[in-house]
Amino acid sequence: MRILCCVKRVPITGGKMVLTDDAQALETKHLGFTISPHEECAVEEAVRIGGEVVVLTLGPAEAEEQLRDQMAIGADRGILLKTGGEEWDAQSTAAAIVDAIRNEEPFDLILFGNESADAAGFQVGIRVAHALGLPVVTGLKKIEVLDGRVRCERDVGGARDVYEAQLPAVLTVLEGLNLPRYPSVPGRLRAKSKPLAVVELSRPEQKLEKVRLVVPEGQGKQAEVLEDARQVVAVLQSLGVA
Amino acid sequence: MILCFVEGDELSAQAVGFARTLGEVRAVTIEGAYQPGAWAKALAAPEADAIVAAGSDRGNELLAHVGALLDQPLAANVISVDGDTVTRVRWGGSLLEEARLHGGPSLLTVAPHVHPAVEIGDIETLDVPDDGSPKVVERVEESSGGVSLRDAKVVVSGGRGVGSAEGFAIIEELAGLLGGAVGCSRVVTSAGWRPHADQVGQTGTKVSADLYIACGISGATQHIAGAKGAKKILAINTDPEAPILASADYAVIGDLHEVVPAISAELRRVRG
Amino acid sequence: MSGGIFGRRAWFLVGLVRNARPSDRPGTEAERALAEAEIVLGQRKLLQRLLPGLMHAFIFWGFIVLFPTIVLAAIDVAGGHVTTPEWYRVLSDVFAVLVLAGVATALVIRKAVRPKRFEGSHLGEADLILALIAAVVTTLLLWHHVGGKALAWAHLVVIGAFLAYLPHSKHLHIATAAVNVWMARTRKRGRLEPLRFDVPDDELRFGVATVADLTRKEVVDAFSCTECGRCQDACPAYATGKILSPKLVIMGVRDQLFAQSTEPIVGSGVPEEMIWDCVTCGACVEVCPVSIEHVDHIVDLRRSRLMVDASFPAEAEPMLRDVERASNPWGKPQTERAAWAAELGVRVLEPGDPAPEYLYWVGCAASFDERARKSAESTAKLLQKAGVDFAILGPREGCTGDPARRMGNEYVFQAQAEQNVATLNEQGVTKIVASCPHCFNTLANEYGDFGGTYEVLHHTELLAQLVDEGRLTPSGGSGSVTYHDSCYLARHNDVRVQPRKLLNVIGRPVEMERSGKKTFCCGAGGAHMWMEERGSQINVERVREAAETGAETLAVACPFCTVMLDDGVREAGAELRVADLATLLAEATS
Repeated sequence: MRILCCVKRVPITGGKMVLTDDAQALETKHLGFTISPHEECAVEEAVRIGGEVVVLTLGPAEAEEQLRDQMAIGADRGILLKTGGEEWDAQSTAAAIVDAIRNEEPFDLILFGNESADAAGFQVGIRVAHALGLPVVTGLKKIEVLDGRVRCERDVGGARDVYEAQLPAVLTVLEGLNLPRYPSVPGRLRAKSKPLAVVELSRPEQKLEKVRLVVPEGQGKQAEVLEDARQVVAVLQSLGVA
Repeated sequence: MILCFVEGDELSAQAVGFARTLGEVRAVTIEGAYQPGAWAKALAAPEADAIVAAGSDRGNELLAHVGALLDQPLAANVISVDGDTVTRVRWGGSLLEEARLHGGPSLLTVAPHVHPAVEIGDIETLDVPDDGSPKVVERVEESSGGVSLRDAKVVVSGGRGVGSAEGFAIIEELAGLLGGAVGCSRVVTSAGWRPHADQVGQTGTKVSADLYIACGISGATQHIAGAKGAKKILAINTDPEAPILASADYAVIGDLHEVVPAISAELRRVRG
Repeated sequence: MSGGIFGRRAWFLVGLVRNARPSDRPGTEAERALAEAEIVLGQRKLLQRLLPGLMHAFIFWGFIVLFPTIVLAAIDVAGGHVTTPEWYRVLSDVFAVLVLAGVATALVIRKAVRPKRFEGSHLGEADLILALIAAVVTTLLLWHHVGGKALAWAHLVVIGAFLAYLPHSKHLHIATAAVNVWMARTRKRGRLEPLRFDVPDDELRFGVATVADLTRKEVVDAFSCTECGRCQDACPAYATGKILSPKLVIMGVRDQLFAQSTEPIVGSGVPEEMIWDCVTCGACVEVCPVSIEHVDHIVDLRRSRLMVDASFPAEAEPMLRDVERASNPWGKPQTERAAWAAELGVRVLEPGDPAPEYLYWVGCAASFDERARKSAESTAKLLQKAGVDFAILGPREGCTGDPARRMGNEYVFQAQAEQNVATLNEQGVTKIVASCPHCFNTLANEYGDFGGTYEVLHHTELLAQLVDEGRLTPSGGSGSVTYHDSCYLARHNDVRVQPRKLLNVIGRPVEMERSGKKTFCCGAGGAHMWMEERGSQINVERVREAAETGAETLAVACPFCTVMLDDGVREAGAELRVADLATLLAEATS
């Protein structure tokens, strides 16, 4: 099996969103970074399925850190599509990923997170599948690789829809697919010397062009303080839930 | 002409209401086994001014397919449109993005609960032939036997402050008394105390309850993204500076291990 | 012949030590010599329990005094003529009797009193050893008073048997204890030995998986254990129903070592649950009469389970990920770290700013936890009042890495250490005052291994100094107050006097029995702030003890102790106010 996992470096925000002065991005000076939670599950699934696992990201030079983290849990090599740190919209991201994939031996499975933690466009995986002419199933909570095909499941409010697709295929997954493992230190040390290919790219014209970011209002509610259980139950009754 | 995909649910009715602000709406639906690749082909109308759907799982998926088919940008989870500038949701709702959409038709999905639902009126049913792309082959019912988190009217949710898997007993007790579901924050599932199915948040379930009771949850933005769909939020926390209080309608400043059983006891008392 | 048996075994044991990994326990020759004098010759630790202490002292001193009689007996047997000076004959008789008295006392303790510390020990072996000791001195006394070659022979035969048995039993400690005491650390007791990750693959060591990974000190530790159980008695985990017994850990390691097992120690010699129950309080190390350092064993076992097998209590995983990615164990945004300080006008250092006299290292708990925050606020206000030139790092202060290190994640710890040392060194910091004893310990004792050498004070030390100097003038209180010594202050770092100076000015102090070096942990150490606890609770046990003093206030000096004991007070329904010394001092000074 040859599996490609596409991941995105995102900041770890806390309780508040703070923007840079020019409102173009989150202020990340004191923030740590990770990959989107859905993608962590994708890489874990790929390592469990087995075979050669490649992790790819489109991002700044610092995104190597995230690729090495995934190599530490078992990915075999990484591809960094290096940008200058600016944001790329979903279409240009997908196009760059497709170019990179075309430079590789074909993959049996290409995994994405259903949506990234930050921009959440819900579309990169689907666009890549169309460009490559591959079947795509999204929002998955379970994947079973069978003979030349994959059987996968998606939550639909109290039930599971089951899809089947012939390999090669593109799948996008949701957190809850599995519980990602904690990396071992020997794994981390080995990851330092696993192969990493770096491709320098410059950003094409953006079709969904970010103008600015805005922190929404209403983040400063004044909660009514309740003193005791009696008051709480009175509120519950007034809301009609008690 | 604004082509709007609907599914007969509330989110679709909201999407139609939003679409009407852009122009004349042609509402369509598709029946039969869900096959996103094929269905999107029926929706990919290059002559439309805009193609709109609800920002639901299916809505986002279908319009992403349409975007790929038409090679046009998609702005997902939009809350408002002004000419060619859209305002859309990031980080599950904690951040907004203003962006210019270049091209046509404009592809938009509508963020849930930002526009009131409307009477949809006439809906055209489109005929969509199977195109061999992946479709639903089977539906497996889940024997969850309990209130579904997504649909529950009341959710009682526990965070790091609960302290252990066993600690959730008092959460379950209160949820039981209120006929609600038990939820939790991401830290709780990472710690192995509750299954991911109970997780409320940006990457878990987004609730739409009448009341969300957050016990010992500090209120990271990813969690708020899942909780804010609730009409009212009650936070129980020892820390008066916890971020969740900025999103809460009611708060009790205290230890959940004392407060939650006290509420359960008081409920039992008034019920006699 | 017995020499042969003894020799072969001794060669095997020495081989185990030589093949073990190197260890590095800090201390000077003078300090080690002093330890030998106090602990070995003076039997100080054993004499903490008077009766068993005297029992052992008699036997031990007896053996030293009586040793020459072996030589004399050998000469006699070989046909040589021996004149024993009268004074020596009397002396040896006296000590022989004392030895017999010791043996008798030991038998009474073991058979009649049956202390709990012997649970899990091999009592049969002890009985055999006592019997042999009794036989040695009895044959000696008989030879002295009845005379004759036969008795001399008997004496030698018994000694020969003893000699052969010795290195195959826990009595091996008589050869190794003095060595173990010499090798033990005499300073920086709270410092764990670092691992090196930048070495070739065949030199990499990730703590202890099998006996091949043990360090020399750990091997000699295993040799020296007499199964006396004092560590077990002192262990707060064992005292609250957990299966962890430091004694059983060392015995487990020893058994695996002697069997030359290739199996992982955790799971075969030491049950997994035991290593995670530990709160690294060091009570075991403090009481051990042969200077076994159990905490190093437990952390080394954790290290390999966590770093190599990625197997550890799942509830601690969010903490480890958060320390690494968010620079604090609660995953809160670093931008909020100085929020508490904003209103007080505390200076936050920016890169390039001149270094203050004191860098106030606030710690993650005081920055983010609402109960611990009070202590930072109080400390800042007091320092301002006293006109001390200080500043905080704010968002650039990252977790010291202590919880990761104690959990066994040396890798994440070192990343934090290197980052913090870089920040501190770039800023030109030389003096640090820390609120949290864990931060204090790591900054003072452990960052030196990563290029960070600073003069570090705990906030109670600095505050006590300011009171001494008259820069703070509290008006005394009259309420009764008891003080909970933090393990990482009182035991690992010998900070016991200055907090008590503060106690004296804020109220009427009343001590708990387990205080000072004998303090009983609050339960949060060893990363237990983030782990679940089985059995009954350590913090509740400690609160019970505090409440028994009848004091109104329970003073603490650590944010973890604050939270744990406050929780314990609620749990136990006790009438006690838990407050940090800084808060109490601030109240007495306003």
